[in-house]
Amino acid sequence: MNTDISQTITRIAEIIINELKLEDVTPETFDADLDLIDEVGVDSMDLATIALVLRDEYGIRIDEDDYPKLTTIRIIAEYIDNKLKSDD
Amino acid sequence: MDQGATNRVYKFSEIIADPAIGACWQKVRKYFFLRESTYDMSNRCNIRCEGCYYFNGEKQFAKENLNVSDWKHLMEGEKERGITFVVLAGAEPSLVPQLCQTCYDVIPLGCIASNGLNVLPREIDYRIHISVWGNDQTSLEIRKAKDMLARQMVNYQDDPRAVWVYTFTPVNIDQAREVTELLAANGQQITFNMFSSPVGYSGHLRHTPETLAHTRATMSELLAEFPQTVLFSPYNIVAHTHTRGLHDLFSCSYPRMNPSTAIGLGRSFRQYRTDLQWDRAAACCVPDTDCDDCRHYAAGSAVVTARMYRHATDPTTFSAWLDYVDTYLAVWVRGYEKSAPLCKQLIEPPDLVES
Repeated sequence: MNTDISQTITRIAEIIINELKLEDVTPETFDADLDLIDEVGVDSMDLATIALVLRDEYGIRIDEDDYPKLTTIRIIAEYIDNKLKSDD
Repeated sequence: MDQGATNRVYKFSEIIADPAIGACWQKVRKYFFLRESTYDMSNRCNIRCEGCYYFNGEKQFAKENLNVSDWKHLMEGEKERGITFVVLAGAEPSLVPQLCQTCYDVIPLGCIASNGLNVLPREIDYRIHISVWGNDQTSLEIRKAKDMLARQMVNYQDDPRAVWVYTFTPVNIDQAREVTELLAANGQQITFNMFSSPVGYSGHLRHTPETLAHTRATMSELLAEFPQTVLFSPYNIVAHTHTRGLHDLFSCSYPRMNPSTAIGLGRSFRQYRTDLQWDRAAACCVPDTDCDDCRHYAAGSAVVTARMYRHATDPTTFSAWLDYVDTYLAVWVRGYEKSAPLCKQLIEPPDLVES
């Protein structure tokens, strides 16, 4: 796995755990392929909050229209990675 | 705090570092768990109002289901799929209090839209929205009911569930003061709605740019003069009296206008008819409303609230959004206390600000 993506995945997991106050999971044990909506219970307002924290962290804009696509931590990490590359 | 006065890019963490903004943010985010659906309770009403949302379209012809067991089963299913807030509406829920009680017993957060002519039992501890369309003379003309406000005020005297919802039409703008004064004198609260035309409606109640401006000025005066009585904020005024409707300003997130079923209202919202069926193509808080003319208070409560990300650009814009959400919660959730507005200016919605 790409190291940068791996770090991004861990950081996103950390943010989600912190914002949603999830228990019994750590950034290291959070399954990056878990469906955040169906399996974690993330809703649109949670996702908007997470998107704002990610905006602060990575300096990228996450379009509201893209929320439905951001279903797993891995997909979010790849989305961020692509945004950062396109900004280069 | 000047919106758009500089090109500074704010981090979200900087915006909520402001103590007042941060406190309001923490206050409102506790309610992000609310997930609503709406339910037509009965196909009957004890009055018949011009422009009524219920008696337009197909839903009025749905068979009425009065079986308490069926409603209990429906509510248990709703709870199971994550619904935490119910809106009991059409045609007149107070005619079927046993069904309202059944809903309350399963999902204890919610709101009932009523004309206020029957008293709902206190055991049903939902917010109760009592509709008012002008002074009693106007109500008699449009709703064919005598002494409506006087009767509503007696029925819901000292009832903390009640909030009056004044629907502004082009013909009743100047009567809002009289109604607000009466409610204020009686220790009751009011919020504002905008008449939004049903599909195909071209009657005299449809707003024009002139009546929208007149309404905006009137709302601003009443909010300034009766801050304890009027549950509204400056940004509510902007959002609901703009010449562009809610969908145009904020992209409506209800299923009728939102094809995505992935997340949010597009995923969870349903509008049940009296036969306990629902149709995604018609699902919205005010079915059969012309979306281009929709400025309905219930629509805004979800549509503006859902657009948090785009309002988190600067302290002023985010404050305005927080005021809107704070107002929404005060209007819809029993026991939620509204704070004083953070943003007292009338600011433009974010995508309309010239850069």
